Amino acid sequence: MATVEYKGKTFEVDEDGFLQKFEDWTLEWVDYVKDSEGIKELTPEHNKVIEFLQDYYKKNGIAPMVRILSKVTGFKLKHIYELFPSGPGKGACKMAGLPKPTGCV
Amino acid sequence: MKTIADRLIEDVGLRRGVDRLTPEKIQKVFKELVAGECGARMKTYMETCVRCGMCAKACHYYMSHKDPSYTPVAKVSQTMWRLFDADGKVDPKVIYECAQVAYTECNLCRRCIHYCPLGIDTGYIISVVRRLCHKLGVTPQYIQDTAHSHSATMNQMWVKDDEWPDTLQWQEEEAREEFPGLRIPLDVEGADFMYSVIAPEPKFRTQLIYQAAAIFNAAGVSWTMPSTPGWDNSNMAMFTGDSEIMARIERAHYETAQRLRVKRIVMGECGHAFRAVYDVGNRWLGWKWHPVPVVHSVDFFWQLIQEGRIKLTHKYAEPVTIHDPCNIIRGRGLMEKLREVTHFLCENVVEMTPNREHNYCCCAGGGVINCGPPFKNVRIVGNSIKAEQLKATGVHTLVAPCHNCHGGLEDIISKFGLNMHTKFLGDLIYELMEKPEAE
Repeated sequence: MATVEYKGKTFEVDEDGFLQKFEDWTLEWVDYVKDSEGIKELTPEHNKVIEFLQDYYKKNGIAPMVRILSKVTGFKLKHIYELFPSGPGKGACKMAGLPKPTGCV
Repeated sequence: MKTIADRLIEDVGLRRGVDRLTPEKIQKVFKELVAGECGARMKTYMETCVRCGMCAKACHYYMSHKDPSYTPVAKVSQTMWRLFDADGKVDPKVIYECAQVAYTECNLCRRCIHYCPLGIDTGYIISVVRRLCHKLGVTPQYIQDTAHSHSATMNQMWVKDDEWPDTLQWQEEEAREEFPGLRIPLDVEGADFMYSVIAPEPKFRTQLIYQAAAIFNAAGVSWTMPSTPGWDNSNMAMFTGDSEIMARIERAHYETAQRLRVKRIVMGECGHAFRAVYDVGNRWLGWKWHPVPVVHSVDFFWQLIQEGRIKLTHKYAEPVTIHDPCNIIRGRGLMEKLREVTHFLCENVVEMTPNREHNYCCCAGGGVINCGPPFKNVRIVGNSIKAEQLKATGVHTLVAPCHNCHGGLEDIISKFGLNMHTKFLGDLIYELMEKPEAE
């Protein structure tokens, strides 16, 4: 386990760089992760994905399938990968503060 | 000499598991396991190892860490030999150590068999250690979650029954914008083959299903996908040691193909799934052979190329190298077909050394990457030998027809700053193939 300090905030992260506690999530966290995810500038589209991931996770305790993400946001699969180059399971979940999904990811 | 006790990692699944154990309980389960499931094979392995140490240099963990406690023989001596010496009556903390070795420090890649003068299958021994740990309820949390998912949904990522066909239809719709006549045919009885994939594909990496559909569409083959559970060919229960759930998954996969009366099953580019379907499930179920013939994508693409069904607009110009996934190379001997397909697609193939059945493991397989973040650093540092091997090729494109290998290799590429990227054969075929014109 490691600790990240960024803009006056402290985050506990796992070895994959995901937040240990969903409750620790703040806007500074998104700003911190975006560089390592190869995202130059955050857009309202990024925020839309992040907000939905958090909402779904609070209700279901798991990340949604990319299909559901697409249905709710209206973004095509290709566009989701343009927004989050490492994909919905890695980059988008990480930025939204979700734990690393289990399975072959 | 250092031992596993010097590098214990805290995992809630392992910790809660051992807290419930007593030496007596461990002994009872151990003795039942050895008497009931192991038979002559384990006994022979236990008695024939001559402690020569030839296996040491076969193991990427040892070659990377250069610590003798990571050699295959040391992994056995710290687990199965200890259990046999004590007739199974050990302190629960020994089970914690056994579990950490078995689940997170051995990829069951079986490279060491090729170096053992007696042909001892250390992967088998370590699998039995995992089986014991599973029976004792001591499994890493992350991988256990996937086994739970298999048990509840028959797939490893909690994909619900209705989400699966919805996802396929969504990808069909998206693909029809590029290929107007394309279908992802669901439940077509009597099709030539059923295509099965691993759950991460519908869950997050759905473009792989899109690409496969595009390739099959262009090749003009008769295929189908099931709309029901039984579509996921992956099997993490095989790696937790839960043979009962493992067998249920394999039975469901084969029975789904039988219900559709297909001639055979074609599996996507995943290695461990192939091991489960081709090698492990049928044996546990006591079947003499597979009830439906099964081929891996490497084999299938090779056949499509032989039949002239894949036509390219051009070859991939940049040099590439090939990573040989253990489960389809050491496990199935597809090394030459993998090369023929890669050479068909690429102008310049640079071999890494050693290769084919002597290739170094990606260090993700065997369920190790699935044990999750707590064990990530040991796994990556434990494969600097692979990083050196990759770097020596001097190329930037790495072909690896296995999901787990992609995960492990990408971690190594990022950790050691290798400036490489990974490709599935399907990625390359999709990129290079002649795409049918809209009618």
